[in-house]
Amino acid sequence: MKVQFNSKLEENLVRGTLKIQKLLIYRVIQKTLLLIFPFALFGSFVKIIQTVVIGKEGFLTDILPPFGNDAIFRLIDNVTNGLYNLSLGWVSVIAIFGAAKYTAKYYHRDDQLAGITGISTLLIMDYTYSKTQPISFHAQILGMRGLLFAIISGMVIGWVFKIFSRSAPNLEKNQLSNSILERTFISLRPIIITFILAIIFSTLINVTYYSEAPGNFINALSTETTPSNDWAQLGKTLIFSIYTLIMSFFGWSGTYSALGVEKMDALSTINLNYALQKHTAWNAPNPFTSATLYHAFATYGGTGAILGLIIAILIISKDKDFQTVARWAMIPSLFNISSGVMTGIPILFNVIFLIPFILAPLANMLMAALAIALHLMPPSVYPVPIGTPGPLTAFIATNGSWQALVFSVLAIILSVYIYLPFVKMAAKVKLLDNLGIEEGES
Amino acid sequence: MRLKLRNLRKNKNFKYLVALFTILILLGIPSYLWTKSNVTTLAGRYNSPMSPVIMIPGSSATANRFDDLVKTVNRQYGEHHSLLKMTVHPNDKITYTGSIRPNDTRPFIVVGFENNKDGYANIKKQAAWFNIAFNKLKDRYRFNNFNAFGHSNGGLIWTYFLEHYFDDSTITMNQMLTVGTPYNFEEKSTSNRTQMLNDLVRDRDKIPEALTYYSIAGTQLYTDDGIVPIGSVDAGKYVYEGHIKHYTLITLTGTKAQHSDMIDNNQFIDIFHQYIVGNGINGPIQNAPNKKVPKGQ
Repeated sequence: MKVQFNSKLEENLVRGTLKIQKLLIYRVIQKTLLLIFPFALFGSFVKIIQTVVIGKEGFLTDILPPFGNDAIFRLIDNVTNGLYNLSLGWVSVIAIFGAAKYTAKYYHRDDQLAGITGISTLLIMDYTYSKTQPISFHAQILGMRGLLFAIISGMVIGWVFKIFSRSAPNLEKNQLSNSILERTFISLRPIIITFILAIIFSTLINVTYYSEAPGNFINALSTETTPSNDWAQLGKTLIFSIYTLIMSFFGWSGTYSALGVEKMDALSTINLNYALQKHTAWNAPNPFTSATLYHAFATYGGTGAILGLIIAILIISKDKDFQTVARWAMIPSLFNISSGVMTGIPILFNVIFLIPFILAPLANMLMAALAIALHLMPPSVYPVPIGTPGPLTAFIATNGSWQALVFSVLAIILSVYIYLPFVKMAAKVKLLDNLGIEEGES
Repeated sequence: MRLKLRNLRKNKNFKYLVALFTILILLGIPSYLWTKSNVTTLAGRYNSPMSPVIMIPGSSATANRFDDLVKTVNRQYGEHHSLLKMTVHPNDKITYTGSIRPNDTRPFIVVGFENNKDGYANIKKQAAWFNIAFNKLKDRYRFNNFNAFGHSNGGLIWTYFLEHYFDDSTITMNQMLTVGTPYNFEEKSTSNRTQMLNDLVRDRDKIPEALTYYSIAGTQLYTDDGIVPIGSVDAGKYVYEGHIKHYTLITLTGTKAQHSDMIDNNQFIDIFHQYIVGNGINGPIQNAPNKKVPKGQ
């Protein structure tokens, strides 16, 4: 089966991606992401209930009539918290299991034990020395945020298993229990070494602090700096958006959250005050803030204008896996929760999607900036509930301006067009990759 | 393009696309109605997840007075509250130190005064200065509820502020905690009411009724905390009792029950954390009233 390329550029991109995908680290990442996908998808549905339906300031909480019964409300709240925290809320634990397991398997070591060691290691590194709770962990590291950290740690564990143990004897069915015991003792050394490394690491380094520190620094920069003129403002918003997009690509969250729970920056507050005084959003003093550009136009379906990708897949992709993921992730994506697509396609760490993942939101923002500059639509200034469907954000935040709605629809079309060629390319990469595997290349 | 559209209709995913846009339109209609009604009732109030703890130090203390307290709370409970300190100068200018970390829903904000002298006349001035700082905070951070803490005269400034400046139609004060607040200055007996106590009792109707207030009095040898008599702290009941939702007086004794030491006291830190900082499980954040309509009629 021959794969046709439309241009030299496309061919280079596809071949380059293939080369990266052949690397061990990438293979491990890919398998690990597929492992966490079902949990991420399930968690994203729970998150809809948690933040959008019953959450304070949630989209459906706000627009639907209030919920009368307090006891039922609390019950739902508790149930969803539990489900969320142990699905999407701890994907990093699953990820480190996968990463350690697959790495150890590659080196023909005891993969089962490596994976389980990984789980304990991550929990040790993430353990909080709390006086109020008997056993507790820093929640952020266990979720999507810790994904990169977990995958790297998992690979290190797999590597420790390679160095400090010999290969595990094949455990076939009907084997005696003493061979299981033998297997255990082969892996005992790397397990102990891993645990010691983990405890040293967690004692020396305050993981949560360092995982938060760069983000906090950038966040402080983004909320405290107030550029004097419009162009500097536009530049600032674009730079922080690109930062957010790149960080999201690695599973971290950047300055701007797709669920819009972050604090308003000073410029947006000035805008809101202006709009409340003059009773109009037109001519608000700061036209190019994160609220007017990024939140209103760049987060359709979650960070990276994922809704465009989903629609693009539904329109042209013939790949069964892509289609299944797109259909399942459609509903969470409507409320800007994109973890399903991020891990299912996957987009995380996927070189081919890095380009549209940054390009599509940027194009949308530039279009919105142009429209605002030419006074074709008012800037989005009013507060928007959490989890407002992306294409409705601008509409709500301008107090129902039809112009904003038209530009929102244009933004969807634009992002679909940007994603289309990359969806085709991804299909080609997958095809070539699978061919390679069948031929026994890797 | 035309060709594509025709193909699209044959596409078996067509129904998913249609469903997607139908849902969007279905959600669009109620949200349009919501935004129309929300903007009219918004009146300057913003739905912010932030609920700060605003603190006022006592006389002759600066905005740095609570640095250790914040540090202790953060360390002891493994929390990461940020600290913003404001100092209001006699010319109404404000200087800032520290900052509020983005995404911090429970930051500490300390408002101190350059003129931090004692005396009723000065407390009135300080309440006016505090109002300037409070309005700045309100405009900048747009929170709709907060908790208050006052040490010594800080509690008097809070009370005077509540009676003369505070407007509770847009913002809610959930809990207040004060330590050694001398409602009757140095008077031991409430039969000798100072001018200030009389004024505070007279204007008490302006204090928001939904408030929950905890007043801590320290005692050494049953009578005072070394500076403020227990009778003077207790006189706060004439201002608050029977008017606000809950008024509680707590007596603190033992080591570190002295007027200035109390904020280092372990019992105090427990109370402070329980009632003012909250732990997010049964904290006040969840039951913060979501006011949209001013109640005054």
